[in-house]
Amino acid sequence: MADAAQHLAFMAAQTAVARGEIALVSPEMPLRANLSVLDNIALIPQYRTNLTYDEAADQAWGLLVTAGYQDSHTKRDPDLSHAERCVAKLLRAVIGQPPIILIDRPAMLLPDTHYPPFLFALLEKLAEHLNNCEIVDYQWNQPLYDARHPPSIIE
Amino acid sequence: MAFVTHFFIRRGAAFLTTWRIWRDTLLFAGRAVLTACAPTAYNSATRTVVMKQIYFTAWQILPGFTLFAALLSYVLIQIVVTTAAKFGLSDYALEVTMRLLVLELLPLITALFVALRSSSAINTEIALMKINGEIEALESACVDTMRLEFMPRVIGGMISVLALTAVTSVLALVLAYLAVYGWQTWSLPDFSRVMGKVFDNAVLFGILLKSLTFGLAVTVIPVAEGMATPRKLFMAPISVLRGMVRLFFALMLIEVASLAFKYI
Repeated sequence: MADAAQHLAFMAAQTAVARGEIALVSPEMPLRANLSVLDNIALIPQYRTNLTYDEAADQAWGLLVTAGYQDSHTKRDPDLSHAERCVAKLLRAVIGQPPIILIDRPAMLLPDTHYPPFLFALLEKLAEHLNNCEIVDYQWNQPLYDARHPPSIIE
Repeated sequence: MAFVTHFFIRRGAAFLTTWRIWRDTLLFAGRAVLTACAPTAYNSATRTVVMKQIYFTAWQILPGFTLFAALLSYVLIQIVVTTAAKFGLSDYALEVTMRLLVLELLPLITALFVALRSSSAINTEIALMKINGEIEALESACVDTMRLEFMPRVIGGMISVLALTAVTSVLALVLAYLAVYGWQTWSLPDFSRVMGKVFDNAVLFGILLKSLTFGLAVTVIPVAEGMATPRKLFMAPISVLRGMVRLFFALMLIEVASLAFKYI
């Protein structure tokens, strides 16, 4: 029964993702390897709202500057550090302005970083571009988090 | 008896697998063409991908390929003209040259060249995108990969094959004129008469259709094969190998069908 409920919840989440209600930042959602960071982020508004490349790239550049990662804008996925890749994925989600952004298992995105402070500092910088951002993590990683910002737990 | 049963089961499974691959390729081609016909499919992002595809498939190779096509055309024209003269058939040399080069060889060579250069790259790229999960990532970001990644490649590939065929054909016609009539212009009416005889409306429509079908094949087969790649890295070279072999057979099949339609 639990399996069926989990499956239904998963399907509902997939449907929501498909409708653009939830943007996933996940280890399983890689960047386009043959596009630069800037192009990966700009692609979303360029495609979804039919902006010209220059307009979309301006938006993407603004977000990279806000996050403090503008130096990585020409890099492609294989050349990125874990932090740069995670930021690029997050900004790709942010630029679409979805109602919810789900950061899925950040320990897998940032294996060499004490990630809760890193993520919360990043989310604070991007606060005016975010609607609602949730972090989903394993229960055993909960002690890493500040008690004021507990993650959603994968049971 | 068991041997016979196993043989048919194995052959049947292989046949069904091949049948499914070709069916999926044809379905994909249909979807790509239908998407390409819808004006709503085009936006700034898709236009960028179409332009990139034309740039990488046609523009980048234009000087080298044109030079190669000119050299090949010149050699073949000289062979035909010399042989025709030897047998007292000089009157037919120009017509034979046009039929051989413009109607048959140049479209096929262009498609093969594009297949070697771009189709293998497209097959590898799509296979790696599939293996890495990039396609799912784009779709989860509400990006329709048919519109953004696949359809523009098909359009770009078709335009590239058509454009390269047109450029090399015009060049071959100029070389054929020079080889048969020399460096003078007063034989242009004769040349035009032969051209009119060879390139009637049906033939022009046929060559257009053949080039477009070649263009469709050199993009649809690698994309469909890339999409069918299982999510295992070691399958990438196997996917490209399969895609290229299937593409070669498809191109030959189109050529044979075109020859059979014209001459049988």
